[in-house]
Amino acid sequence: MIATKSDRMMTAFSWGFITLFAAFCLIPFLLMVSGSLTDEQILINEGYSLLPKGLNFEAYRILLQSGALLRSYGITLFITATGTVLGLLVSASLAYSIANRRNRLRHAISFYVYFTMLFNGGMVPFYILISNWLKLSDTLAALILPLAVQPFLVFLMVSFFRTVPEELEEAGRIDGAGEVRIFVQLVLPISKPILATVGLFYALIYWNDWFMGILFLSEENKFPLQMILRRMVSNLEAAKNLIPSGAGIALQAPTYQIRMATTLVTIGPIVLLYPVLQRYFVKGLTIGSVKG
Amino acid sequence: MGGKTWMRGIGRYPFLYLLALPGVLFVFLFSYVPMYGILIAFKEFNIRKGVLGSPWVGFSNFEFFFTTDKLLLVLRNTVFLNLLFIAATTCCAVLLALLLNEIRVKWFKRTAQSLIFLPYFMSWVVIGMLVQSFLGGMHPTVDGWLESLGIAPLNWYYEAHLWPWILTLIRVWQGAGYMSIIFLAAVTSFPDEIYEAARIDGASRFQMMRRITVPLLVPTISILTILAIGKIFNGDFAMIYAIVGDNSMLYPTTDVIDTYVFRSMRVLNDFGMAAAVGLFQSVMGFIFVVAVNALVKRYSQDSALF
Repeated sequence: MIATKSDRMMTAFSWGFITLFAAFCLIPFLLMVSGSLTDEQILINEGYSLLPKGLNFEAYRILLQSGALLRSYGITLFITATGTVLGLLVSASLAYSIANRRNRLRHAISFYVYFTMLFNGGMVPFYILISNWLKLSDTLAALILPLAVQPFLVFLMVSFFRTVPEELEEAGRIDGAGEVRIFVQLVLPISKPILATVGLFYALIYWNDWFMGILFLSEENKFPLQMILRRMVSNLEAAKNLIPSGAGIALQAPTYQIRMATTLVTIGPIVLLYPVLQRYFVKGLTIGSVKG
Repeated sequence: MGGKTWMRGIGRYPFLYLLALPGVLFVFLFSYVPMYGILIAFKEFNIRKGVLGSPWVGFSNFEFFFTTDKLLLVLRNTVFLNLLFIAATTCCAVLLALLLNEIRVKWFKRTAQSLIFLPYFMSWVVIGMLVQSFLGGMHPTVDGWLESLGIAPLNWYYEAHLWPWILTLIRVWQGAGYMSIIFLAAVTSFPDEIYEAARIDGASRFQMMRRITVPLLVPTISILTILAIGKIFNGDFAMIYAIVGDNSMLYPTTDVIDTYVFRSMRVLNDFGMAAAVGLFQSVMGFIFVVAVNALVKRYSQDSALF
């Protein structure tokens, strides 16, 4: 096939536009990495640049010794791990029940869950529920429990469980397996891909959440990473809270540099896991777009 | 179905219902119990007296919001920003999907897709931090770039009129790649035979894109747009609060219903008024989603939400 002039222009334009957009997406990350390695005085005078000037690792040296950052990293890890396991357990069970034709209440339960996506009580009653009725303010439970059932993810799993052939369950039943064994030993093992997808969704939701924190946390020693970052955005001086007393800072604390280094440390696991995340997210999107 | 029949159903498969129970309880506690709290909107709420103990005040919580120009302002900002976001993200995503589809070199296509999808995984706080770092400070990074282009530097956090566009750009950065993957999935599902026939007829790649791919993509675009319009009264609190925060200079163009509710509650401690505004939003949102869904149903049964 001979490429005509118009086709060649089309190809060139595609490469050009995609390259530009990809660069647009990448540049903020480059500025962040470079900023975390740039000397504080240069950041103050010249702002961030694509390549670090006056390369130094001062910010990382401080963060490595920072008990405050380490603690908040631990908190984020704990919230993410607990939340993902809890969310996956509760949502998968709920989804399996809704997807099962033997469940005579499945339409009612499905609507009951679905309705919450259409109508909600709003922020104020939710706030009063958590802080005044359940008294969960300043507990990590307030950051974990409210996010444990995401209707969208429940329905993503429902649409997967519906594709599990009924013969599988029938065969199990003939072999004398009870409902519990059918779910745990037959259905769950073949559901690994969807469990992985939904698990990653939950992990990302918990890792990135800060809304629950801003509503319910006031004690700084309970702050997850996102809240530490949030505080730095609203208050430039907050970066100093991460500096341990024995760090030996000469004159000026490298505030701007620490802000970028902390951001990088916060997104680190996401970037490291990105190849896996991306694959499963695309899969989840395609399942979800078939019919949620 | 009679009540007896399903009772027998539960008796036969108790485990199935037991499985649903934790999820049902979670949803009840965190989604349905707050609906009862809507009563606060009609009360002069006092934390010590509780929801039932606080005195009824009828619609007076709504009055303040409806009689000042606040309502118009936050309503206009919410709808306007959402429209900008929908239009810009959809256009960019469609263009990205069409052009990615033209690229035959695998490694380039895969790398580009990875890069444009990456921002979607960032939390709004991280994005807020980046925005503030590049637009704020004594010598904003972006100003440095503008100066080298011969454009006068700006004091970004004082220029409220620019922020709808800045927020739109951020939104495109964060979401267009994600959306383009949905469109690309649709494009790859179009049958090869049509393209083959067009090629035999001597159509150029651009002609095929314009006369085949785009028309075939229109249903997907319409559905996603209509669904997004269904949520037009929901301001993106996480995004706007993470980026604008308590910067009151920018409220005139960026304050949306959700940030207004949050402030009324946490700063002014006016729970009754905040609840009233929240209720107004929930009701408007509900009506809109249901109406939009009816519209989608008429257009394409398969794409309706319910």
